[in-house]
Amino acid sequence: MKLKQSFIIAILLAIISIITWEFYWRSQGNYPTLNDERSLWANTRSNVDKATKDDVVILGASRAFFDIQLQTWESITGRMPIQLASTGSSPLPTFHDIVNNTNFTGTILIGVTPGLFFSTTNTQAFPWNRPQTKVDYYKKRTYAQRLNYQLSVPLQKNFVFMSADEEEWSDDIDLKSLLRVIKMGNRTGGPVDPPFYYFGDIDSNSNMRMTKKTVTDTAFANTIIKVWHFFGAGAPPPDKESTMKFFLKDLKKFKTRGGNVVLMRCPSSGGVRAGENKGLPRNEYWDDLVKQANVKAYHFEDYESLKDLRCPEESHLSGEDADYYTKELIKLMKADNAIVNL
Amino acid sequence: MLFNSLSFVLFLVVVLALYYSKFLNWTSKKGMLLLASYIFYGLWNPPLVALLWISTMVDWTAGKKLSVEENERKRKMWLILSMVVNLGFLAFFKYRDFLLDNFTTVVNTYGYGYQSQSMDIILPMGISFYTFQTMSYTIDMYKRKTQPAKTFLDFALYVTFFPQLVAGPIVRAQDLITQFYEEKKATVNQFIWGIFLLTIGLFQKVVMADTLLSGTADKVFGSDKLLHGVDAWIGTLAFSGQIFFDFAGYSTCAIGIALMLGIILPDNFKYPYASLGFSDLWKRWHITLSSWLRDYLYIPLGGNRYGILRLYVALMVTMLLGGLWHGAAWTFIVWGGLHGTYLILERLQRRYLPFKITKWNGIFLAFITFSCVNITWVFFRAREFDTAWNMIKSMFYMQIDGEKILQSFSILKVCIVVGLLFLCHWIMRNTSMKEVSLKIPLWILGILWAVMLFLIAIAQGSGEQFIYFQF
Repeated sequence: MKLKQSFIIAILLAIISIITWEFYWRSQGNYPTLNDERSLWANTRSNVDKATKDDVVILGASRAFFDIQLQTWESITGRMPIQLASTGSSPLPTFHDIVNNTNFTGTILIGVTPGLFFSTTNTQAFPWNRPQTKVDYYKKRTYAQRLNYQLSVPLQKNFVFMSADEEEWSDDIDLKSLLRVIKMGNRTGGPVDPPFYYFGDIDSNSNMRMTKKTVTDTAFANTIIKVWHFFGAGAPPPDKESTMKFFLKDLKKFKTRGGNVVLMRCPSSGGVRAGENKGLPRNEYWDDLVKQANVKAYHFEDYESLKDLRCPEESHLSGEDADYYTKELIKLMKADNAIVNL
Repeated sequence: MLFNSLSFVLFLVVVLALYYSKFLNWTSKKGMLLLASYIFYGLWNPPLVALLWISTMVDWTAGKKLSVEENERKRKMWLILSMVVNLGFLAFFKYRDFLLDNFTTVVNTYGYGYQSQSMDIILPMGISFYTFQTMSYTIDMYKRKTQPAKTFLDFALYVTFFPQLVAGPIVRAQDLITQFYEEKKATVNQFIWGIFLLTIGLFQKVVMADTLLSGTADKVFGSDKLLHGVDAWIGTLAFSGQIFFDFAGYSTCAIGIALMLGIILPDNFKYPYASLGFSDLWKRWHITLSSWLRDYLYIPLGGNRYGILRLYVALMVTMLLGGLWHGAAWTFIVWGGLHGTYLILERLQRRYLPFKITKWNGIFLAFITFSCVNITWVFFRAREFDTAWNMIKSMFYMQIDGEKILQSFSILKVCIVVGLLFLCHWIMRNTSMKEVSLKIPLWILGILWAVMLFLIAIAQGSGEQFIYFQF
């Protein structure tokens, strides 16, 4: 019974190898986390279809993702917002989807990261294509894909080797990622991306929180800062005209059916903030957007309680500061009556 | 449902548990397999299960009538009904937009200014496979080459059997239906060999195709730049490897899963990249499709019975339609046309420049065949003619200042993987995995198996769809 013996050897060796692999990565400081992936996003997106007028949906890029802490929000308002922000993304495709493909009439809180909000309406460009891919996935996901995701969650939560984020971090440990970081010179002669390491944990409600390492390890935070500077330097010029036009058209439609939109500009600091002020000056972009949109808007620089917040990697708040920012923002919105259920 | 997904693992465990349970008799087990097959398909898109039901009902009825009807005219009508329904499904779901686009182009060349409305119809997964499979039953019944299925359940399971439902192997009625007549149970060795084949198939798909090759192929074929020759060749080689591992991986999984149920499915690939010429290639690549095309298209078109010119026409028409079977685009037709041309040129060579294949010139011939196959893959993979043409120009260094988009490690990785693939096919071309596994020590087989399991586990994969699902 040769095959039987080979099978037993294979199973034993495979189990031993996988356990060894798991413990090796844990010894390197990795821990099990959920992956920030389109399946999770689609699960969260499905909540919009059953949301009421009292619900809040958050859109935007990674700042809206990191800086609004859902549990903190829920503890104050009694209702958890639906987090649909997406890293490196323009909020416009998701806003367009909600306005045109749902009957949602609650509040949409849109995080405005100027470099992404005003980036493009070109559907093939990265800031647009990335959220659009998620929107399309939500529309087309099969029952098998939903089941796969439900089955994968307990595995992701318990095994380090199951982590493979769609962001493709430089420290991902799936086989493809491990091969991707091997470099042999620079044959193309193009700019070499700096390593981009994992710096936020996501939970099953799509709440993103900065890792402790990013807050406490300055050298590590500096690697993330390098990435922002690299992206900033290579970013194409903004396309204010078409992005504003696209947004205002959807905004008008949403307002007409009774929806409420609030804009927020989350904190940034250091070189990133300087770069933003230079490339996308506030008066030219944010102020004009607020004026034309004619909605409640909150720029962190305008409030004593927010203007001195410092981002460890110049672009996102630490978990603790994000809790504070969330509380303060709610306080401000309450005072303004900006959100109906507050 | 994809074989490389967690839901399939759960599905397979439940199906096997029920299949080998003692409280179901054979008819109930077949009923369970049928229901499982509908769930397998329906979890992708439930309403499209109706197409399977219609196809099953029509061909079951046609087959039943053909088995008793003696009037030739009426027999032909039943055959035509089956053809119309099955090919009608294909035409509507797969070729409608293609036909409409071409109609619009032709009409508009005469200045009519006609604008067609794309219906954006979803392509039912595996429609080309199950329609061909069920049509073969009716055609064989018409030709009195096979017996009618004994029960509707046997026939429905033949149409829908989940391991090979969406991407083959395309199985003939007499090879599969007859296996359903008596209770099947895998022996311990068959069951373990089935698991081994499933492991090999998943390894090919998840590790080789998706992890090692797909990125390079996607980058090269997704580029809108004029590429450097090396990049164009490497992208093509990467796709060449990717499509083999992807498709052969699916077939190997299907054969392994069926074997775990005690059902034997035919081989679909026999080390095709070590083919000595193109006739040999089509006896080794997607064998069940090429034999289907041979039996139901090439031979009815005359085959080699009516002289050399008719033979060439039959070959070319068969390959052009074979190309169209893969996808509703002119690039697929060109792919088929190139293969048709290769087959004709090979026949001419055999006639006017015959030579003996020895072990010395064999590998060289295999390499030439492999290189020519790679050229055809450019048209298969490129979505647009412009992309394909730019790639061909780059590959033959008609592009002097093409852009380099691949890093050295990607090039090295593809060269190693595809080089090993070619050598492996050459070494294995006259043997089989089963024979080799019997010769090597059990502990080596165990270690190789464990390595594959480990690499599948750490590659994880994002549940990428198999390429052939779209055909």
